[in-house]
Amino acid sequence: MGSILGTVAAMIVGGAVATVTVVGVVSSQTSPQGDSPANVNAPVVVYGSTN
Amino acid sequence: MWSLVLVGLVLGPALGPGYVLSYDMVWVRDLAVRADVLGLGSGLPRAVPSDAWVAVLDEVVPGMLLQKLVLLGMLLGGASGIDRVLAGLGVVSRLAAVTLWCWNPFVVERLVLGHWPVLLGYAALPWVLLGATRWRATGRAPWWLPLAVLLGSLSVSAGLATSLVLLSGLVLGPGERRLWARGALLVLAAQAPWLVSGLLHVRDAVSDPAAARLFALSGEGPLPGPLAALTLGGVWNAEVVPVSRTGPAALVALLALVPLLVLGVRRSRREAIVLAVPWAPLVLLWAVGWLLAVLTWAAPGPVGQLAGVVPGGGVLRDGSRLLVLCVPLLVALVAVAVDGAWRWTRGRWATPARVSLAVVAVLWPVTVLPDAAWGAGGRLVAVDYPVSYADARAALGEGAGDVLVLPLSSYRQPDWNDGHKVLDPLGRVLLPVPVASDELVVDDVVIEGEDQRVQRVRDAIELPTPQARADVLGSLGVGAVATDLTAPGPAPDVAGETLLDDGRLRVVRLDEVDETTSPTSWQVAMGLAWTAHLAVLLAAVVAGVRCARQRLRRNLSG
Repeated sequence: MGSILGTVAAMIVGGAVATVTVVGVVSSQTSPQGDSPANVNAPVVVYGSTN
Repeated sequence: MWSLVLVGLVLGPALGPGYVLSYDMVWVRDLAVRADVLGLGSGLPRAVPSDAWVAVLDEVVPGMLLQKLVLLGMLLGGASGIDRVLAGLGVVSRLAAVTLWCWNPFVVERLVLGHWPVLLGYAALPWVLLGATRWRATGRAPWWLPLAVLLGSLSVSAGLATSLVLLSGLVLGPGERRLWARGALLVLAAQAPWLVSGLLHVRDAVSDPAAARLFALSGEGPLPGPLAALTLGGVWNAEVVPVSRTGPAALVALLALVPLLVLGVRRSRREAIVLAVPWAPLVLLWAVGWLLAVLTWAAPGPVGQLAGVVPGGGVLRDGSRLLVLCVPLLVALVAVAVDGAWRWTRGRWATPARVSLAVVAVLWPVTVLPDAAWGAGGRLVAVDYPVSYADARAALGEGAGDVLVLPLSSYRQPDWNDGHKVLDPLGRVLLPVPVASDELVVDDVVIEGEDQRVQRVRDAIELPTPQARADVLGSLGVGAVATDLTAPGPAPDVAGETLLDDGRLRVVRLDEVDETTSPTSWQVAMGLAWTAHLAVLLAAVVAGVRCARQRLRRNLSG
């Protein structure tokens, strides 16, 4: 009984992890985070942005 | 071996030939040993003593190779340290711990932001804890403890964290407590270069209060700041946040971590789990790191006012940088939880199910942060400098006076660096001391710099004629002007002899310069500071040699 439960639990956890991985990989490839470009109004490369 | 795989995956293309130039991480072939790297420049000692160590070591090891060694060493060294902290636990839990240590948002975000001295401090952290524990237990510090403290003290924030780690390790938990005074002496000596240089610049050491709000701990995706901090994320700069942290994976990371932490706390209390270091300093460090980080999120105004009044208070403004203190406890609790689960399933679960559990326990940090792989998703790549940089260095040589770097802005986004942002590398390539902007622009907000000389230079380049600019710049100690012609921003002409102009860089030598040197009292003070700093290294070397001789003698007699 324990081994069946263990196997089922491992399958659920493994499936969840696999799903998250696929979603993560796909989203990271489809919406790559880029550096914000230089500000055209004030011609300077900004250090970063908070949003 | 497992840590080597992880580190290889994280760094990926960064280990190829070339320099990794990302935000504040700027390495060059041969950084000159000059006044600013020794803490005698006109600006705050932000890269002291890290730059001095690089400048000295790259005389022996080429800068490119040295950078690879540092990148690899800081991740592998830390993983090895945390593995020793958890030496009493099983293999599966230690593998899980090493994964979380190497593969978490803090590591990835700080890597992309280029904060390698902070990550060196991260690597030193478990070793400092182990050293403090052994010092208290035996009354003698292990020979490598001063070395670990030194490596963890290459920048202001890393040095403060390392000091807190050592002192908490010497004061909290069982064993001799009176060692704290000697520990304080050790950390003071290790921090001496930036500490003394900071005191010499104390007049300029208050920072723009506006910066606190911009650099505060930030939420990531669905996680507000405090929860992002719990999962070791929350860097202020949205550009360096892995995309996976902005979606549901961040929530899954939290949902995976919290039960493990709860299980780890329950098991460690119920079964009185003993690690190679006491729990008390780990708990204290986590509390200090998390609370201070959350403070920057909850009350950026008061933090900014503090930084605007108290010299050096600006160190606290980058909230998520303080999370370095939280990692050891988190990793230890996760390891204890995994160890408990692994033991509990013995005899209850079939082997395939246990193996599945082990795989999930070891790999979950990777699965919730998949875009950390391969140089943080391609953000960390190795590139070569265009030949113009070597030409500019050769054309200018050591020159007379300092070199002004134009445009007068801090960051560049060159096409030869795949468009990635980097602190202007030109000043580091050249031999004279650079005079460069210390202003930062975040979200269209300009954070004022502290170096008053830069402000005078800024006024000088706004004068109407090239000759007038050259005259005033010369009187300020500027002997040459190096301009990156590809960078955005104004770069007015300055009268003088053009040494190089290849369309990418232009170097002009001014006709007259009043060379400036730092006051003798500053040189004496920094000389003493460096003596104290190097005494820490000497102590480690002497103790190491003595230890090796004793071992050799024992082996020969045994």
